Parts: sequence; structure tokens; C-alpha cells
Amino acid sequence: MKKLLSIFAITLVTYGALNAQSNFTVSYSMGFAAGDLADFISQASFRGATMEFRKMVQPNIGVGLTFGWNVFYEELSRESYTVGASTLTGKQFRYSNNFPMLLGGNYYFSPGEKFNPFVGFGVGVIYTRRNTDMNLYTLEQEAWNFAIQPEVGFLYSVTDGAALFVSGRFNQGFKAGNELDADQSYFTLNVGFSFLNN
Amino acid sequence: MPVVLLSCYPAGPEYVEDVDVTYTTYDQKFDFQSRGTYAMPDKIVVDVEIEDGDTTYIYMKDVFATPILAAIDDNMKANGWAKVGLAGTPDVVVTPAGISSTTYFYSYWYDWWYGGWYGGWGWYYPPYYTVSSYTTGSMIITMADPNVGTDNPINQSQTAWIAVGNGLFSGAYDISRVTKAIDEAFDQSPYLKLN
Repeated sequence: MKKLLSIFAITLVTYGALNAQSNFTVSYSMGFAAGDLADFISQASFRGATMEFRKMVQPNIGVGLTFGWNVFYEELSRESYTVGASTLTGKQFRYSNNFPMLLGGNYYFSPGEKFNPFVGFGVGVIYTRRNTDMNLYTLEQEAWNFAIQPEVGFLYSVTDGAALFVSGRFNQGFKAGNELDADQSYFTLNVGFSFLNN
Repeated sequence: MPVVLLSCYPAGPEYVEDVDVTYTTYDQKFDFQSRGTYAMPDKIVVDVEIEDGDTTYIYMKDVFATPILAAIDDNMKANGWAKVGLAGTPDVVVTPAGISSTTYFYSYWYDWWYGGWYGGWGWYYPPYYTVSSYTTGSMIITMADPNVGTDNPINQSQTAWIAVGNGLFSGAYDISRVTKAIDEAFDQSPYLKLN
């Protein structure tokens, strides 16, 4: 909660500076799990979205906030799980809800050009909520992972105020807490629009 | 956008069968291989009534009980067990039972009354009650050796094997879900196999 509050505070401060050059991006986000998350859910996620705000502090440097939500889901076939003398057979329904919340900076290679590639880097947290449902019960495991997020992408201007946005990000959430005992990481491909405020 | 996203949130279980589970556990010290015969009652207990100290068993209707008992017999036979009557001093007794349990969700809006001073009018808001429930059913099969009861301080035979098939009641009374659970229970208990 404390983390959410501080992020909210930063949002307000950043929002106050909106009158300067800035851009706001909304994108559809496809997720491809890595590491421990991929062991838990091997299927790619086609349910996700990101929102980001960048204030231009230099003509080619923007800083701001990135929020995302990716839901990974897999329905396992009926399988048996044995612990000691006990065996349980049933279907498992697995969910992983991941919410990256990061402070980020982008470096734009061709500001003002129609095709404007960029690289970015974010630091923050990923809130992970993993559910394993079986029968009428769910096992819920949560983590607030410290996270870094390298990114490459480009903006392609379609009008003066809007640009097509395409980026690839790697969300690296480091192990946190004791409910999930490994890093929670995934790659996302994001496609959306950037609204430029000049 | 969140609304759009919520509408495509993963669906999860779609059919009642999706939440059916089969659980088995056994006494690792029990030597199944040295046994070979079993006895089983021809009725399935689903409830017990105790009145003035008299205990009455309530039995499952034959139309449901018959296929369940047949499924147990088929699996025992396939695993190499021979059925005998109680008089034939069976090595183990197999006792099936069925139980159900209903969970209610219950909520209501508080009644409220607005008094005010306008001629003493008041409105009673009708209380709205919403009740929903789900019922789960469990099929329990236990196996025990009746002959070892005397070796035990409380004169009871410890259960050697327990199988539980649990699922949601669908109202369709699809008995094949139960017989499937029985098949699964035997499949996941290879130590019961004598042949």
C-alpha cells in the first residue's frame, strides 16, 4: 500500500508538469513468460495493456511513469499429483496477474522525425498475484518484486499529435517475499498509440 | 479500457466436471499383496439418523448405488481381488459412503425507516435478501482389514486405503462422474494391484 501511495504521489507531481512537452501512450501488451513464470504457465498471454507518460526534459530524453497489466492463464489437463502416500487427481487452472509500475526514462534517436526509434529503461516494482485453482479452492501467492525494465521501440507519426507506438520490453522482477521463491519475469510486445503534447 | 480487458479475463472452469477431484491415500505399512479377498455391502450409506439412541442408516437409492457398487467390483476384480461374503472371512472389507454438503452465501440490505416530521410518514424499505448456494458431493470408499481389529487398543481396524471423489452437484445426477472418480481412484493406487 505504501508503495502504491508513493507511486500515486509521483504521478501527481509528474502530472503537474504536463504543460511542457510530453507524450502519453496506451498500448495493447502481449506477454511471453520467462523463467519461473514460464514453468508455471507456458502459454503466452494475449491479455494485457500498458499506459505510460513521458515528460520531455531534453529534446531527446523523456522521463515518467509506466503502468502495465498482463494476465497469464493456463488450463492444465486432468493430472495426478502425489505427495507421500496421498494422490490427488484433477484439473488445475493457473493464473498469474502481473502489474508492473515503474519510473522510466526514454532516449529518442530522432525527435521530430516521422520515424523515431527509442530505447528506454524503467525501475520500480511488479506486483505479482499467482493463483492455482483446483476443485473449489485456490492457492494464492503474492509478491512485490523489485523490477527493472529495459525497452526498445519506435514511434511512427501518423498525425501531428499522434504516433503509432511499438515496443518490446523485458520485465525483470527480482525475487521478493517468501510466497514465490523465484524471479518473476516476462517479455512483452506492445502495440499502441502515443499522443503527443507539444 | 479496463472494462474491455475484464470482459476477456480468462474463463476458468466451464463445466462442473472441471472441478471434480479424486483423492486417495493409504497406510504405507499395510501389506496389500498378502491379501486377496474382499467383502462389500450391497448398499451405500448416505446419512445417519440418531433418534433416542437408535441409529438408522439412510441408503442411497438403488438406481444410483448399483452402478457405483458395480464400478468398485469391476475395479477390484481387475486388480485381482476375489469377492466373498462376510461369512467367507474376507481379508479386507470395502465400505462405500456418500455425503453432501451445502454452502450458503447470504446477504441482505438492512431495513431502514425514514421518519421525518412530515405528518409522521415513514417508508419502510423492503429488505432484499439474496441467497445462493452450492452443494458438493463426496463419494468415500474405505478399505480395512477386519481381522486386525483385535490387535488394536480400541478394537478397531485402521483404514488401509481411503478414496474420495469430490465434485459439485449439478442437478443432472450424472452417475458417470462418480464411476469415473472410482476408476481414477484405482488407477492412482497401483499398490492395490495384486495381479
